[in-house]
Amino acid sequence: MDSTSAGLARSAVKAKGRRGPTNPFRMALIGLAGVIPVVIAAVLLFLVVYAWPAIRFNGIDFLLTKTWDLGNLYADPVPRHGVLAPIGATYGCLVFVAGTLASSFLALLVAVPVSLGIAVFLAEGVKRQLRTPFAIVVELLAVVPSVVYGLWGIIVLVPIAAHIIAPVLAAVFPFIPFLAQAGGSGFGLLSSSLVLALMVIPVITITVFDALTRIPKEAKEAAYALGTTKFEMVFFTMLPMIRPAVIGAVILGLGRALGETMAVLMVSGGALNYMPTTLMSPISTMASFILSQLDSAEQDESGLAVQSLAEIAIVLFVITVVVNIVARLLVRKGASR
Amino acid sequence: MSDGTLLPRVTRAQFLKSVSLAAVGLTIPGIVGAAHAAEDVTILETGSSLLYPLFNLWVQGYSKIAPTLRITTQSTGSGTGIAQAIKGIAQIGASDAYMAGPQVKKNPTMLNIPLAISAQNIIYNLPGLNGSALNMSGPVLAGIYSGKITNWNDKAIAALNPGVALPNHAILPIHRTDGSGDTFIFTQYLSKSTPEWASSVAFGTTVSWPAVQGGIGAIGNPGMVQTAAQNPYSIAYVGVSFLAQIQAAGLGVSPLQNKAGKFVLPNPQTIVAAASGLIDSTPADQRISLIFADGEMAYPIINYEYAIVDSKQPSAALAKAIKGLLTWAIDPTGGSTGDYLSKVHFVALPDKIRMQSHARIATIAA
Repeated sequence: MDSTSAGLARSAVKAKGRRGPTNPFRMALIGLAGVIPVVIAAVLLFLVVYAWPAIRFNGIDFLLTKTWDLGNLYADPVPRHGVLAPIGATYGCLVFVAGTLASSFLALLVAVPVSLGIAVFLAEGVKRQLRTPFAIVVELLAVVPSVVYGLWGIIVLVPIAAHIIAPVLAAVFPFIPFLAQAGGSGFGLLSSSLVLALMVIPVITITVFDALTRIPKEAKEAAYALGTTKFEMVFFTMLPMIRPAVIGAVILGLGRALGETMAVLMVSGGALNYMPTTLMSPISTMASFILSQLDSAEQDESGLAVQSLAEIAIVLFVITVVVNIVARLLVRKGASR
Repeated sequence: MSDGTLLPRVTRAQFLKSVSLAAVGLTIPGIVGAAHAAEDVTILETGSSLLYPLFNLWVQGYSKIAPTLRITTQSTGSGTGIAQAIKGIAQIGASDAYMAGPQVKKNPTMLNIPLAISAQNIIYNLPGLNGSALNMSGPVLAGIYSGKITNWNDKAIAALNPGVALPNHAILPIHRTDGSGDTFIFTQYLSKSTPEWASSVAFGTTVSWPAVQGGIGAIGNPGMVQTAAQNPYSIAYVGVSFLAQIQAAGLGVSPLQNKAGKFVLPNPQTIVAAASGLIDSTPADQRISLIFADGEMAYPIINYEYAIVDSKQPSAALAKAIKGLLTWAIDPTGGSTGDYLSKVHFVALPDKIRMQSHARIATIAA
């Protein structure tokens, strides 16, 4: 074989190698990017291994029953379902799943229209000089610690929910049982959802606002050239153009709502053993229940109580992942349109 | 091929070398730390939120006696206090409840040392009646918290309060959502006074509360007081150290029916009366419920506030520091004077129990 052509081939291989998977920079990036899925998988694996005795003990009933009872921690645990368990212990997470999904869904129901309105207002409704101060205020809302929202919820929102919102709803919609419960304490689904909505609004607003400002001027001018009003231009040109960003923003918001712990714990009313039936019902969410129960669970020497809390964490994890995947599919569908 | 196998071998050797260097690096400060341990001891106290304010007062007072000792206090809940003391993360776990039997069996070196006596207030918010000290009993409270008694004008409540015009309004029972020693002693009172409660819900730092229409879960003693203040027609249970907040919120405090059938409010006399009947039956390991004690004047919901301490400490200096602090805390001329205890409405240990606690403290060693 011709030596020059062999040399060329070798240098070509070398050059390719530098760009290819053996390039150290590329390898480092792959390694760093790989950390995230590895960490997620490790967390899930840890949870499953840790919660395994509880998973075996609880079976499918864990997802289907609404009774959570640590049992008698002051007597010796007895073997049941192949595991040592406190007498009378039963663990069911249906109440917490319902509370989490209901409060997150209602929060989005409030937050999405409000956030879109604020974002459109910031992008199109204010003078350029005022835009930055407004945007900074919205961003500040996103960094307020959640316990502050919780405190505000207890002191301000809960009394308003009990003494103003609930009676008004009951008076206006007496025929809808879900809305028509006057009285009650104000702690519950409505207050939790409103606190969550307030925490989610800045997240969605900022993301949508960023997307709106990136829309090329030509698109807007083209819409105006066709004789649209500003309202029509926003609703029929701008918002459809950023549909994937809107859906992405809603996913981000939903993620925050599903996992929020402290603020919800403070205003949820801590429901146990019963499902929410009205807007004013007390609820418990999965994340806040784990936090509030850990202290007592640690007194269970059989370990089953803490392991069952870990099982709730697995359920929350799976729900979050499923919600994300569904939302991502929606984005893809939206983008391909 | 040979290159391929050589490379990992070299890195492995380097790796081992670096690991051993790191290990040496870690042990050197360890040795230095041990040498300084005599002067440089840190005690971490964590657990009960009821004991927390008193412990902070103690830390201030004890700093005059042992100025070099560093004490960190945390209010994390009794269950966490016990768990962290067992794991050795905290040197003193503060708890309103004694350790559960299975926990003691598994961790036989753990001590339950009473430091003081606490009590619990049953509070209520009834417009117009907060000043009239509405009587309550264990069976009536059990009825309210299990949803069998739902209205303030129920005849069971009326029977305890002859002559009081009770409102026709639904009762809002408030319970603790977080794990709590207050829930432990409250549900223990219900269990000991009401067999039906004992066989269904029983007691613990959290219990599986029956679903009650209008029932509310609140977080912490401050949350209980605030929720009761915000919600007319509510009833709640709150640690005695929050009496000032209860009075500031204008809430009513219920005299409770004791085992002798009398209605008594928590105060130093009724708390001592309840404790004194149980002094002789307190076992050597000091794990005993003081709930629903005998005696005409005995207040039915009182409890020992415990320090949960491992009798096997990692160093002699640490053991000595813990012993010094706890001995001073229960000393009637040290941390157990009225100056400290009356601020949180606690009562000092009776002499015999204090001697028992001293004996327990003396077993702490390295």
